[in-house]
Amino acid sequence: MSSVHDTAGRLPAEPEKATLEGRNKILGFWLFLAAEVVLFGTLFASFITLRNQVPEGPTADELFKLSTVAISTFILLTSSLTSVLGTISLHRHNLSGLLGWMTVTVLLGLAFLGLEVYEFVEYVHEGHQFTSSAFATSFYTLVGFHGAHVLFGVLWITTLILQAFRKGLTVVTAPKFYVAGLYWHFIDVVWVFIFTIVYLMGKVG
Amino acid sequence: MSAHQDPSSAEGRQYRHEGPRNHYITFILSILLTIFAFAAVIYGDLDRGFVLWFLSILAIVQAVFQVVYWMHMKDRGHAYAILYISMGALIALTAFAAAAFWMWW
Repeated sequence: MSSVHDTAGRLPAEPEKATLEGRNKILGFWLFLAAEVVLFGTLFASFITLRNQVPEGPTADELFKLSTVAISTFILLTSSLTSVLGTISLHRHNLSGLLGWMTVTVLLGLAFLGLEVYEFVEYVHEGHQFTSSAFATSFYTLVGFHGAHVLFGVLWITTLILQAFRKGLTVVTAPKFYVAGLYWHFIDVVWVFIFTIVYLMGKVG
Repeated sequence: MSAHQDPSSAEGRQYRHEGPRNHYITFILSILLTIFAFAAVIYGDLDRGFVLWFLSILAIVQAVFQVVYWMHMKDRGHAYAILYISMGALIALTAFAAAAFWMWW
């Protein structure tokens, strides 16, 4: 493995799967994603069962502003596209393309986080605090866990970009980017269910 | 594993990573499905039960497209990935069914 710090021209066609370590990393990452599905599944389950338990404090319909949610959604959706374009650059052994698309992904992730912080601050001012109601607790737990995942992804991909600046694209760095791309898509898939179940269904009632 | 591949062919190679076309299609489809979902809630004077089903189906279609194309599930060698995610989804749905049953009935 350590003998293959190749330059771009000599990389194998799928550098992320060229070594056993790379293949195992991807396989293990899918196992991790399966556990993540269970984690978010249980959080969604508790949110759906508690979402109308609002003895006091604002309800979902009173609280949510769909314009902010729509902007967040389009930002995250676009970032998922830019991260897959990064993976395509990876397959084309195009390091600068990979780094460029991943940087855009990180910036969009930061924009998403900024909107989420703004949204949560607004909610707290409107009396929607973590302990206000069962709805509030399950809302902040579910959406907050997702936000924490976005934050982790931003930090993780940033470190990968910095490492790739130093080490370039090798069979060691390629699986990391591939797996980070999978992670970012997964975060976007979870958001699809959050904007549907939490926000849109919260408006419908 | 790649010893038999000719590195010089890497540039002109048109192998199974067929480029970004499918990813753009998935992106546009996701945008459209998202717009439909928001529009159904904002503008639709529709039956509540219908909207809930409509939103659920749009979300599932969008999630499946993103997993299959963006997460490369359609590519070769993803049998374990499909197995893992299906098992995760099965456990998650069981947890949801248990919670719903416990709370509502």
